[in-house]
Amino acid sequence: MEEVDDLCVQSANDALVAVLAKLDAFRGTARFTTWACKFVILDVSSALRRHAWRHRKVELDDAVWDRLPDTAPPALQYLQNAELLDILRRAVREQLTEHQRLVFQSVTMEGVPIDVLAERLGSTRGAIYKALHDARGKLRQVLADAGYEEIVA
Amino acid sequence: MTDMPLRALLGSSDRDPGCDAGLDVIDEYCDTVDRGEPLSDRFREFLSHLANCEACREDTEALLAAIRDQKKDDNAG
Repeated sequence: MEEVDDLCVQSANDALVAVLAKLDAFRGTARFTTWACKFVILDVSSALRRHAWRHRKVELDDAVWDRLPDTAPPALQYLQNAELLDILRRAVREQLTEHQRLVFQSVTMEGVPIDVLAERLGSTRGAIYKALHDARGKLRQVLADAGYEEIVA
Repeated sequence: MTDMPLRALLGSSDRDPGCDAGLDVIDEYCDTVDRGEPLSDRFREFLSHLANCEACREDTEALLAAIRDQKKDDNAG
């Protein structure tokens, strides 16, 4: 608990430095306190997510598909025994780049926060989200082409 | 309309500007929600992003909670 408190204090201090450095960028579209608090929230929440995941591996693990349905998130439990699941699994394997596969499976199937993934991959939250967004777009297209356009529209 | 479980997995096809653009307006969005004002169209893409991004959803909820806590403190003080 003390460790988490220290983490929060350190992150809040980092956020204060960030706020001071960004003062010129304040446009007045939100209250100043809200604008400043945004940076604190982002720093602290990201630090807490990374802390929570510090002992857990993040890797491309195709066995996640074989652990269905026991450990699957509700979205995949819903898909079990459906043709959709086969199409989706094949599309993930064949249509996504390795990076997109890692991001998609980690975030949507294993619940890895995107800022944890960003840290592990030496990337940014924005770039990881872009990879997820592109992967999802490809998968929706595959499902649409397979006749499921109504449910992915 | 995407089925809800599939939406969690595949996101929506609505225009989504991503985390960086979302974080630019998260403070304005939270202030608007806190004031109870109707959300204008300019938040439409941000809302699409929130539907697709769990981290941004959590951060938005945390910022809203912080705003409300601050108001309570102000009122108490």
